[in-house]
Amino acid sequence: MKSDSNLERVLNAGHFAVTAELGPPKSADPEVIRKKAGILKGCADAFNVTDGQTAVVRMASWAACLMQKEAGLDPIVQMTCRDRNRIALQMDVLGAAALGINNILCLSGDHVSFGNHPMAKGVYDLDSIQFVKMVKDMRDEKKFQCGEEMKVEPRLFIGAAANPFADPFDHRPYRLAKKVAAGADFIQTQIVFNVPKFREYMKRVCDLGLHEKVYILAGVSPIKSSGAARYMATNVPGMDVPQEFVDRMTAAIKGIPSLKTIEDPEEKKEVRRRRREAWEAEGIKICVEIIQQVREIPGVAGVHIMAIEWEEAVHEIVSQAGLLPRPVVE
Amino acid sequence: MNREEIVSGVPLAEEASPPCQVACPLHTDIRGYVAAIAQGDFEEAYAIAREPNPLIYVCAHVCAHPCEDECRRNQVDDPIAIAALKRFVAERHDLSLGHGPPKPEVEPKKQKVAVIGAGPAGLTAAYDLARMGYPVTVFEALPEPGGMLRVGLPKYRLPREIIDVDIKGILEAGVEIKTNVRIGQDLTISDLKEQGYEAIFIAIGAQQSRALRIEGMDLDGVLLGVDFLRDANQGRPVKLGRRVLVIGGGNVAVDVARSAVRQGGPGDEKEVHMICLESREEMPAHEWEIIEAQREGIILHPSFGPKRILGRDGKVIGLETIVCTSVFDSEGRFSPTFAPNTESVIEGDTIILAIGQASDISFIRPEDGIELTRRRTIQVDPETLATTAPGIFAGGEVTTGPASVVGSMALGRRAAISIDAYLQGENLAKLSFKEPEKLDELPPKTIEKIKPLTREPMPLLPLEERAFNYNEVELGYTLAMAMRAAHRCLTCGGGAYVDIGKCAACLTCVRVCPYDVPVIKDGAAVIDPTQCQACGLCASECPAKAITMKLYTEDQLFEQIEAVCAAAPSGNPEPFIIGFCCLYCAYAADEWAESVRAQLPPNVRTVDVVCTSRIDVQHLLRAFELGADGVFVAGCLGEECRHTERAVNRTAERVKYVQGLLDQIGLGSERLMLYDTASAEWGTVPQIAQKMTEQVRALGPNPL
Amino acid sequence: MIVAEQKPLDEIKSMIADYQKILILGCGTCVTVCFAGGEKEVSILASALRMASRLDGQDKEFIEATVLRQCEYEYNEEVADLIKEADVVLSLACGIGVQTMNEQFPEKLTLPGLNTKFLGQPIEQGVWDERCLACGNCVLAKTAGICPITRCSKSLLNGPCGGSQNGKCEVNPEIDCAWQLIYDRLKALGKLELMMEIEPPKDWSTSHTGGGPRKIVREDLRL
Repeated sequence: MKSDSNLERVLNAGHFAVTAELGPPKSADPEVIRKKAGILKGCADAFNVTDGQTAVVRMASWAACLMQKEAGLDPIVQMTCRDRNRIALQMDVLGAAALGINNILCLSGDHVSFGNHPMAKGVYDLDSIQFVKMVKDMRDEKKFQCGEEMKVEPRLFIGAAANPFADPFDHRPYRLAKKVAAGADFIQTQIVFNVPKFREYMKRVCDLGLHEKVYILAGVSPIKSSGAARYMATNVPGMDVPQEFVDRMTAAIKGIPSLKTIEDPEEKKEVRRRRREAWEAEGIKICVEIIQQVREIPGVAGVHIMAIEWEEAVHEIVSQAGLLPRPVVE
Repeated sequence: MNREEIVSGVPLAEEASPPCQVACPLHTDIRGYVAAIAQGDFEEAYAIAREPNPLIYVCAHVCAHPCEDECRRNQVDDPIAIAALKRFVAERHDLSLGHGPPKPEVEPKKQKVAVIGAGPAGLTAAYDLARMGYPVTVFEALPEPGGMLRVGLPKYRLPREIIDVDIKGILEAGVEIKTNVRIGQDLTISDLKEQGYEAIFIAIGAQQSRALRIEGMDLDGVLLGVDFLRDANQGRPVKLGRRVLVIGGGNVAVDVARSAVRQGGPGDEKEVHMICLESREEMPAHEWEIIEAQREGIILHPSFGPKRILGRDGKVIGLETIVCTSVFDSEGRFSPTFAPNTESVIEGDTIILAIGQASDISFIRPEDGIELTRRRTIQVDPETLATTAPGIFAGGEVTTGPASVVGSMALGRRAAISIDAYLQGENLAKLSFKEPEKLDELPPKTIEKIKPLTREPMPLLPLEERAFNYNEVELGYTLAMAMRAAHRCLTCGGGAYVDIGKCAACLTCVRVCPYDVPVIKDGAAVIDPTQCQACGLCASECPAKAITMKLYTEDQLFEQIEAVCAAAPSGNPEPFIIGFCCLYCAYAADEWAESVRAQLPPNVRTVDVVCTSRIDVQHLLRAFELGADGVFVAGCLGEECRHTERAVNRTAERVKYVQGLLDQIGLGSERLMLYDTASAEWGTVPQIAQKMTEQVRALGPNPL
Repeated sequence: MIVAEQKPLDEIKSMIADYQKILILGCGTCVTVCFAGGEKEVSILASALRMASRLDGQDKEFIEATVLRQCEYEYNEEVADLIKEADVVLSLACGIGVQTMNEQFPEKLTLPGLNTKFLGQPIEQGVWDERCLACGNCVLAKTAGICPITRCSKSLLNGPCGGSQNGKCEVNPEIDCAWQLIYDRLKALGKLELMMEIEPPKDWSTSHTGGGPRKIVREDLRL
């Protein structure tokens, strides 16, 4: 074992792993974390807290991870190269490990221009691959990036991200290889909607033998509405959403009257509720289908469920996918 | 002022000159005057055309225009109508402003000069010498000055009043002309010397018709061409039969034929034939004259030689001719050969000989010391025109044989320079007369890109209106035709010049030029004047202001803008609008800038340019700075632009840029508009002006 | 070349608000080529400012001049008299020129009329693209001549990130993904193995962010 990570134990034991996301608040309110932790407990083997996702300021990942730990969950701290130079990254790695956080996801980070502070100076001292290697060397060589030795190393299960759908497609498996060579222990991919394409990607990954060196968890996400489907299909770089899912979400609310035809506020509220329910049901259904499909693909060691600001859905998804209860591995 | 400047007013340029200027024996700045016409500056054009040419009115009507033969536009389509344009400005010139430039400030000289003969060579020499400060007297044998202009050139080519205009100008320059004085008869050369003339220029021309040594010359009905012309031009009755046979193929022969056909009256029409040794293509007369002769009904018989004049009862009944197989031998010498047994007869009752002219040099006495050549012409140094007698010079047709008016004038000028050198005690052997260097031909890659533009023919008096009279046949260009004709000029060598000190080799000119002319060499742009079409785009685009235009300069444009703004009407409630209009295309085909400007209300003034590509951001800004309330730019913004869409696009972008600046400054972008005059939407300049007035009125006055 | 852009007219106006006689000084090198501060731009700006000034009821005086290169003392010396006569100098040179002027003529303030933007390539008439960040340690040999520091929004050395789509950067669809360009070129050159190696963290000490203001001294060239 490289760390005390529950996720590592579950994966090593050969189970199909599940990780989920816990989104931190745009405030200093700890209750949000505690509430979400309560909802998510037991649904997955480890829980990511995003770090300045889309360059928007939220509570720091490591702080929310500590609160998660206090609530009995196994946290995955996320850190980006966007905000910290190698000095700060190493400092925070030491700090996270000292706080008992066992998993880390090393990311490049979404560019500052996406977020609510577009005037900030993006750091980008390292990239994600150099970051992975740095953490690996800290853990396994007990050395800092400058070469100095340390006494007590951070024992972290190292993760990295992969996007099978970004360009150049042909190069993506090789980039994954670089992350593996750098020392990644597990991978969480970008949200998979286009299963055939993902299958093709995984085939190439397996051809390179990477599935035997790293645990690959396929990213999935329940769609919340047809608007959300369309947005993801067109506006999010690196997301590949086949039209059939957009259509299914649109079809989900067929039969429910359009909001425009209703005057009465009470009626409007009711219709909104019905629409939401219909969408959510369909969104979860699609998500479960995808989980079941990717589970069949060789090389896929688990799923990473990203229910953004919809943590309540995770339980339902995992349950319908037949992945409950989560295994307990000593 | 140096001698050349006083004499010709045209200092030779350092760089190569346009071929038209080089071909002109007087080196007139043709490019300059055509450009002035193109911009509507007709008096300026007159001044430029007049500068080297004291006989401008005469040349305007009859010049042989060798410039047009050398015009580079020949490589594209047809040459510029240079002669027609000269006539246009001469006709428009306000003579109350004076015929020519004011006399230069020179020391008056004491040495008197005599000029014998008041033809083109003599008059020009006298004019130049007078301007150099010499007291000059021209002795003319005939009652009126002009030489062959007066007695040779027919009135339908050169109305007599035209000659008088130029003579008047020459008299105003201080030349004295004594008519009815025949040297050799009334005065000899020795007499002239005794009267104190220290230099003499013999310019008696060639006014004697050559005769043929063939049978029948003494028959009744045989006339000599020059004598016939003299009588016809002076309105004296000439007895001609019904069928006139003119022998000769040169200009004089054509003049004779076309004069003959005008003799007689209704019921007494003359059938006129021309018989000449030369083939039709070889005929030395001006092509345009031959064509008109044919149109007037004259029948040509080229490649025939006269063998015998046939007569009956002492009167001419016809001409026996023989086929001429060649006129010149392999060395170009006149040596006609005939095909044996090819005799034929052309019937006719009158024969007029026009086979060449000779000079009457009988006035020369042995004591004058003037040696003759073997052909019995006056021997002169080909460079200085000095005869073997010191102080005596000769030039014009008396030394060259038949020549053009302008060619003879150039010799008169040269004689004046030589005489001045002689009288100042200089060594004549040291005189050098340099010819300017000629700009090279247009390369094929440039020819491809030049838009063809039709040359309009000279309007001519309809044939039926020429019968039996000597009314002038060529009517001259209208204003609209002259503008269009001037706009065809390629402005050879008058385009862009680069200041290498300022050039940053940024490649802008290389990229923007529609004709692919600029190249970068040794770190700076080089613009080949052989190729440059003077569109002005590179100069206005250059960020370092390293390019200046030789003609149509930016200074001129700023002056135009300032002049227009200075003349803005004060107290006029209407907004003051300035329109930058492209002279090539903003004005409808038959309404030209002048007539359109007259239609505009006093609150609208135009700054006319040749192509809007010259107008850049700072020019438009200057108009506002000087108080214009509104500005519009009008031009053809589509395919019509002769400089391609490149010019069009740049104009549009610059206007947009200024509109943006106007908003930032706080004046408002709607004060500036761009109009495509080729589109049916916007119509004419007056309509555009009205639209702008309304638009700007709503915005209020320019607070500046 | 250095690429710069004129500041908005309003900003320039407020900078010169307290001065009456302003010398607008252009530069004949980089800023001429990018149409920001050459002789032509100087005359356009002068005209615009004269008008704006009069509209504000101020009637400021603007003198125009351009020197060959504003970062050289010798060239600036040529307009020393004009600088003396003016209340302030509005420089249309890049930031280097502005600073040289302030150093050379400390008694007169020289204001920046331009925003110096980047080191870029003129890719076509009127279009300039950033190409070099002067990181001080060129990596172009490993990336097929395409700079990942400058042209990748995240300066990745082991790119591309997951946001690369259709050859464009996630930050701005008009920006080419540098790593897509690198990949395509390495592939065409048969050198894709260069992209399989892990490139270690960059030594940023040669760059400004890492090392602070930089200097080169060539003792062999000093007079």
